[in-house]
Formats: sequence, C-alpha cells, structure tokens
Amino acid sequence: MKKMMKLFAASALSLALMLSLFACAEAPEEKKAEAPATQSEATTEASGEASPDASGEAAPAEEKTVKVGFVYVSPVGDAGYSYAHDLGRKAVEALDFVTTSYVESVPEGADSERVIRNMARKDFDIIFTTSFGYMDPTIKVAKEFPGVRFMHCSGFKKSENVNNYFGRIYQARYLTGLVAGAMTKSNRLGYVAAFPIPEVIRGINAFTLGVRQSNPEAEVRVVWTKTWYDPALEKDAAKSLLDAGCDVIAQHQDSPAPQEAAQEAGAYSVGYNSDMSSFAPRAHLTSAMWNWAPMYVKTVEQVRDGSWQGDQALWWSMQDGVVDIAPMGPMVPEDVKAQVLAKRDELMSGVDTVFAGPIKNQQGEIAVPEGTSMTDGEMLGMTWFVEGVVGSAE
Amino acid sequence: MALKIRKRDEPWKWGALVIFLGALLFSLGVSCLLLAGQGKDALHGMFILWEGSFGNLWALEGALLKAIPLFLCSLGVAVAFRMQIWNIGAEGQFALGAIGATWMALSFPGLPWYGLMPLMFAMAFLLGGAWAFIPAVLKLKLRVNEIISTLMLNYIAILLLDYLVFGVWKDPTSFGFPMTPEFTSGAVIAGIGSSRVHWGLLFCAVVGVGLWAFMRFTRLGFELKASGEGARVARYAKIRYGLLTMFVMGLSGGFAGWAGCIETSAVLNRLQPSLMVGYGYTAIVVAWLARLEPLNIAFGAFLLAALRVGVENLQLELQIPAAFGVIMEGMILLTVLAGQFFLTYRIERAPREGGE
Amino acid sequence: MLMWEFIIPLMAAAVQSGTPILYATLGEMMTEKGGVLNLGVEGIMAVAALAAFVTSFATGSPWLAFLAGGTAGLAFASLHAFVCITCLGNQVVSGLALTILGLGVSTFLGVPYVGLAAPGFDPFAFPLLSSIPVLGDIFFRQDMLVYISFVIPFFFWFFFRRTSLGLHVAATGEMPAAAAAAGLKPVALRYFAVLTGGFLIGLGGAYLSLAYTHLWTNGLSGGRGWIAVALVIFAFWRPGRAVIGAYLFGGVMAFQLRLQAMGTHIPSSLLLMLPYLLTILVLILSAWRGRRIDAPAALGTNIEPEA
Repeated sequence: MKKMMKLFAASALSLALMLSLFACAEAPEEKKAEAPATQSEATTEASGEASPDASGEAAPAEEKTVKVGFVYVSPVGDAGYSYAHDLGRKAVEALDFVTTSYVESVPEGADSERVIRNMARKDFDIIFTTSFGYMDPTIKVAKEFPGVRFMHCSGFKKSENVNNYFGRIYQARYLTGLVAGAMTKSNRLGYVAAFPIPEVIRGINAFTLGVRQSNPEAEVRVVWTKTWYDPALEKDAAKSLLDAGCDVIAQHQDSPAPQEAAQEAGAYSVGYNSDMSSFAPRAHLTSAMWNWAPMYVKTVEQVRDGSWQGDQALWWSMQDGVVDIAPMGPMVPEDVKAQVLAKRDELMSGVDTVFAGPIKNQQGEIAVPEGTSMTDGEMLGMTWFVEGVVGSAE
Repeated sequence: MALKIRKRDEPWKWGALVIFLGALLFSLGVSCLLLAGQGKDALHGMFILWEGSFGNLWALEGALLKAIPLFLCSLGVAVAFRMQIWNIGAEGQFALGAIGATWMALSFPGLPWYGLMPLMFAMAFLLGGAWAFIPAVLKLKLRVNEIISTLMLNYIAILLLDYLVFGVWKDPTSFGFPMTPEFTSGAVIAGIGSSRVHWGLLFCAVVGVGLWAFMRFTRLGFELKASGEGARVARYAKIRYGLLTMFVMGLSGGFAGWAGCIETSAVLNRLQPSLMVGYGYTAIVVAWLARLEPLNIAFGAFLLAALRVGVENLQLELQIPAAFGVIMEGMILLTVLAGQFFLTYRIERAPREGGE
Repeated sequence: MLMWEFIIPLMAAAVQSGTPILYATLGEMMTEKGGVLNLGVEGIMAVAALAAFVTSFATGSPWLAFLAGGTAGLAFASLHAFVCITCLGNQVVSGLALTILGLGVSTFLGVPYVGLAAPGFDPFAFPLLSSIPVLGDIFFRQDMLVYISFVIPFFFWFFFRRTSLGLHVAATGEMPAAAAAAGLKPVALRYFAVLTGGFLIGLGGAYLSLAYTHLWTNGLSGGRGWIAVALVIFAFWRPGRAVIGAYLFGGVMAFQLRLQAMGTHIPSSLLLMLPYLLTILVLILSAWRGRRIDAPAALGTNIEPEA
C-alpha cells in the first residue's frame, strides 16, 4: 500500500513537471495567436479629435505601442468605484494602438507596492493607480522607474513622472443637492457615507450647499458605515435615516442598497458612481456619476504623442466630461429640471462657484468669507462640515 | 469489492509530505479546470502562476517580504493551537502590535534606532500580548469560549486602529486622510543591503529558532507540549494549566504584535488602516498546513505568500479574477485536511465474508 | 410619544437585521448539537446567497430561489461533513477553509451577476396580527421569510425535545461512543446534523440576497456568519435564546446607526464597536451568573472509526 502511494505520488509529480514544461513551450505561440485577434481596424469614436492625424504619423497600425496598466482596490465586478474606472479602461483598450491590463482587489499598502512595481518591470508605459492608499507606493516605485509614467487617483503627491488626478465629483454632488433640496417635504435629507475622509466630506458639503440653495430650511443627516461596500449594512443605515424622518437618501457607497431602502419606504434617492435608476425607478431622482473614459483616452494619447508631462495635479471637472449627473427622474418638476440644467451649463462652461463664500461651518461661524472661494488645496483637505449637516465629521 | 479502514500500526513516515503534494496537485488540477471554464489555456495559466511565484528574483523577493508577517503571526497561532487553545485573534493582536509600535514611534521621534526599536518591539509585544491575555483570562475565570472572544476582539481592534488614525493620530499634513505622520528614520526597519527584504527577516529567524529551542530544551516548553496531548496527560505531569494558558496566549499575541510592528515600521513607515489585510486569518491556515512546526511554518508562510504573489501575475497576464487565488487557498487546505486521514488510517481490502 | 416613534422602528429594524443571523445561528446550533463545530458559516452564507440570487434571476421564482439557497448551503456543508466526519479532519481548520473557499467561490462565480436585480420578498402587513398595537408594528410588517423564521425555533425545540431522531442527534453530540453502543449510527446522525444545519445556514444566506437586499454583490455576508457562531454560544445551544441573541445583535447595530442619524458627535468607530463589545459582555455576564453552559460534550471531537 505504502509503496503504491509513493509510486503514485512520484508519477504524479513527474507528470506535473512534464505538463509545466509543455506549458513553457506552448506559451509564446499562445501570445502570438492572441495579438491579431484583439486588434480592431476602426478608430473608435472615444479617441476623439486626436486620432485621425495620429493614425497617419504613428507607426503601422498593427503595432501596439502603448501598454497601459490599472490597479484597482476592489473587484471590478462591484458595480461601483472600480467598475467606473474599468469602464474607462475599456474605452482605452478600444484604441487601436493600446494594450491594457489590470489587477483587481489589491490591498493598499505593501501588496500594492509589489503589484505596481511588477507592472513597471513589465514595461508598462503608463500605470493608473486608482485608490488613495496607493499614493506612497506609487511615489516609491516611480522613483525606481523614471521611464514609466504614473497617474495616481485621489491623492496629493506628485513627482517627475507622477501626476495625481481626480474628478470634481463635488460639482455633480452640488447639482444632485439642488434636485434633492427641491424634492424634500420633511426638510430632512439622509446621507449614507463610507469613511470620514476629505473626498467624502467634500461631497457631503457640496450636496448640502446644493440642498440649501434650493431649500434654506433643510438639513442633511449623515451616517457613517466605515465600509465602502456592505450592501446589507448600507441598507440598514439608509433605513435608520428614513426612520429619523429623512425623505431623500443620498449615498457615498458603492452598492445600490440605499436606493432600494428609499424606494421601499416611498422616499426619494440620489445615486452615486453610475446611473442607479434601474435599481429604484420610483425613487431615483438622479445620480452623481463618474465617466473616466474621455480623460483616460486623452492621457494615453498624450503618452503616444510624447506630450505627456509629469509633476501635475490634475483635477478634472464637469467641463472635461469626467463627472456628470444622470438624467433626472420623471417625478422631478420641469422648473426644477430647468434650474438644475442651467447650473449644469454654467459648470460646463467652466464657472465653478460651488465652494464660493459666504459659507458657514457647522457651528455657524463663517468659514469661507464672502468674495473668496476655497482653493483646491483647502478643498482637498476638507475635514469640517458646512452649516446644515447634522452629524460628526469623524 | 469491500474496503475496510484500519488504523496504522506505525505512523506513515513520509505520509505528510506525500499527502501535501497530492493535495497540492489535486487543487492545481481543479484550478486548471476553473481556468479552462473561463475559456483560458489552463496549462499556460499554471506556467504564468509559477513564473509569478518563483520564476524570478523579484517574485521571490516579494514572496519573502509577504511571508515575514505571515510567519510571525503563524508562529503565535501555532503556539496556542499546540495547547488546543483556539486563538483566532491573531488579526486583532497584529493590529494592537502595530498600535503599540506606532505609539512609541510617535512619542519619541528623536531617538536613534538603537533606542527606539527596542521600545517599539517591547510595546508591540506588550499590547499584542495583552490583547490575547483578555480571552485567556475570560476562558480561565469565566469559561468564555476563546474562539468567540478572540474573534470579537479582532473587530474591536481594527475599529480601535481606525479610531486612532481617523482621530488623535491623524497627520495634520495629510490633507485629512487617515494616516499618522511618517516615522522618523530611527523608527524604520531598513532593507538588507540594496534589496527590498528588510532586517525583519533576521528577526523572524531568531524568533523561530528561539521558539524551537524553548520548546525543546526548557521545562515550560515540555509542559506546553504535554498539555497539548490532552488534559489527562497534563494533570498527570502536574502541569499548571491556568498559568500555562495565560503564558501561551501572551506569547501568541506577542508574536502577532511583533508582526504588526515590523509591517508598520518596515513596509508602511506609518500607521494607516490599509495595514490590515488579513494576515491573522491566513496565519491560521499556514499554522495548520505546517502541522504547527516552526520550520514547516517558515516553508508554509513562504509558499502561501508565493501563491498570492503568483496569482497577481496570473491576473495581470490573463485577467483572471482575484478570487481565483482565494479558491486555491481554500481548496489546498481542505484537501490536505481530508488527506490527513491516511496518516493514521489505511484502507484495505476487506476479506470476503465467506473467508472468515 | 416621541419615544415610541424612535423605539418601534428600531425594534422592527432589529427583527429584520436579526433574521439572517437567526437562520444561520439555528443552523450552526443544529450542527453543533450533533457534535460538529462548523466555522464555515460565513462561507456557506456567501455561496447560498449567490445560489439563491442566480436561481431567482433565472427562474423568477423567489420561493424556488429560497430553497436553492438552502440546498446550496447543504451541498457546501457536505464538504465540511466529509472532511470532518469521514476523513477525521480538524473541525476548526476545516471550517476556516470552508469560509475561505466559500468567499472565493461566490466572488469568482458571481461576477456576471453583480449589478443585476432579481425578484425577491417584500414586506407586507400580516393579516390581523399586524393590527396588534406595538407588537404588530414590530413583528408583523415584515417579509414572508421573517415570518417563517418565527416558527423555526419552535420546530427546533420540538425536534430535540420530542422526536427520537432529535434525541439521537443530541446523543451523538454528547457521547458518540455511548450512542454507538446503544445501536445508533453516530456517523450518519452527524452527517444529518451538519447537512440540515448547512441547509438552515443557507436559508440565512438566501435571505440576504432575496429579502434584505434584492441584489448580489461579493461580500454580501459581511461578517454575519461569524456573529452566528458567537450567538450559538451566547444562546447556550437553546433556540429561544438564539432568537433573543439575534434580535439583540440586530438591535444594537440598528441602534448605533440611528444614534448617528440623530446627529450624535461620538466618533463612528467607537459606535461601530458596540455590537462586538456587547457580544463579549453578554458572554461574560451569563458566565458570571453561574449559568450552566450546555455545550454538547463531544463538540469538536471526531468519531474514531473502530479499527
């Protein structure tokens, strides 16, 4: 018996060895076969104006000249934040001179550093690191690979070959606030929020400013879940707000569960990340949405043309097409729609007055005096709530 | 044909290894099927996995780095498991160790490394140990099940870490993001030579050998092993079970605390919530795969770390979902467990009933 | 009357968020009564939640989906049964492995279903009973699966007190050797306990994707499986106390969220600790009062086959 087992193990081992050798031999062929298949002839619409002249001067069209990598913090299947980035990646992938690849569910910290470094070693031309926690690792790796370009999302550090970038989602938040403020009857709105970091706090503040613009009496109540992603807990949080008398639920969470809770209670909801109307058609007023595709495409084109520059802090706005709101639901009255769209046109034209004074803080003290506006730096580091928010910013 | 189960008269000498390899092969086989199910070339996938785990120096370096905290946590878990105390709380003890180290690093930023490091390691051990001490006391005095108490303390520890970095320890220059200020150079464990691998590796080796020697040559170590064999044996040998439990849990938590200290200091250079990636839970897997032996744990930690690193390569090259690696891990563990049956038992053909 | 306005919705929320935990707790209790510790609850719930969602999505029948969740739980728990009962693997480690595997499998296979919506169960006012003041508002304006969960503890109690099968299962959990000597088949009984338990845990998972929310996402179980394991001990292996425990836990979670919604200034990290602190505290208090802990005597030990 014992002998038999040993024999079996030995033969299994040698079999495995053989198989892996076989795999080695086969690997290159596999890659060759793949390349022509994924290639698309047509220049896609997404690439915009830059592509026609580019296709003329760039190397033969079959050549994939730019290799683009993405690092995500959660699975792309989460329908939330990483999913939005991955839609951007797909738009880039559709360009005929680009290959892309991504690694998902990469924990921030040591693991991300290794993943980023691994990408840099594999001759990626540009690497998008899409979570705040990747900031230090990105800077560290960038120092070792001066020839590779890096784009870090949502942080504040930059260097020779690192840009940080983000979108002014607060502009969209402000617009959704305008809608929500006009629709509330109880003058109490709820906001299910993930973590008390500036990005989220800024969103809550912009939303509240919008709400109070259309309804100076209204207040916004905040519940922290301390998770980006726990549908059941998010729904609980939304319910607790509904029970507290809120009749519009907004969210800075990745799952549509708060939308469901609002619809079940007969209240309204404001979505985030993408158009969430399909989850709660009767409740959904609008959503604050990400659309990374245009700027990702533009960035990759810059890499190809050699016009990409490092050491920049890029904060893309509605004008760049990176943020927007979803079409407003049928329950929103026409005059409100018109008002919101007018403000949207203003933002589209590049006039941003969301955080223009006078703005009071929670204690009622003037935080931004009249005639001044918050600087980008102040907005990036926002840790206090504006007047009208009820809850702790911690 | 009827089969019959018989207990082995003597332990199967190479059994553990054979079973482990067999289970590994089985799991790899199923993984191949999963890959094929995704429409990928399974063999090519396995090759990429291999290349990403062991194929080059960087991969090995990455795996080694990842193995360090895993090894220490696992060592701690193994010490407790040996006494049949189910410490599931390495994750929380790891967090407390990180908190302890950070506390010292932030309080005495001016000290040189030879002054600061001992403080950090001592406080990490103390807090990690104390966190494990709570369930030990609860178990002894009130018979509160340690699986539950250690598990609940994990959640609490992580929230405590959150509270600190979101509140009192937040770096004023971090634009409000949850992280402590960067440690001063005296609080950072340096890399060995020009490599990425840091001196924590040496520390691991010392701790591992120390523990082995302790178990082998001291009376306490002997008692510990004996009480793991069973309560009756322990009573026979007049072992102070209560004292031993507290000692073992303290040690177990302390090791996990050290892991937290090293990870914070050498890798992150500051405390932030992203420190917590589940090493404490993976450590349990490692400890068990390694049959609680320090040397095996070193191998096991490295192997599992390599697997995780390799799966990243698989993702990058073939766009396989990250959950693939998790499935492999779970499957290897389950099959090894199932296979251990053959260590103590063997299956034989039963004699025909007529022949009896 | 402001108090009632706060308390009634709170209690109703406690019942709802306690329900998936209740199913899982009863399932784990069943398993442990047979002498097998199953730490794989979290993984089983995740797999069952996915199975239920996929079934509901494909067939449009929530009831079929609910059963599918239970069946998936049973099937997944059978892995644990095989490893522990047949192969004599360590129960603690096998359970952990099951959790790892379950979370991995559900995330891996669930990718195409993320972001879709499927039919499920919605709350409705139970005829007559919902008009009872206070109690009606708390207990009888829920969904169908909550009502089902009300009856299971009674069945559970009846099963272990009044049926011979129940007594036999409990006997293998207490003294498998003696049970075998009395002519019972401990191995078969343990399989029965683990599989039925897995079915119940699966129902808890199905609740998450059918009633609690109507969508599938990875990480839907969100730690509830671990809470269930804790509550079994809290409940001293008694179904009635499991109900209290599950609602208490759901209640504390709902309470801290409501406290935030009221506009408190306590940091959220500290509030979120409450449920976990409470679990430990309750365990301590029940031990303090010198309650006898009725753990099945052979819990966690495997049955050695006769050589």
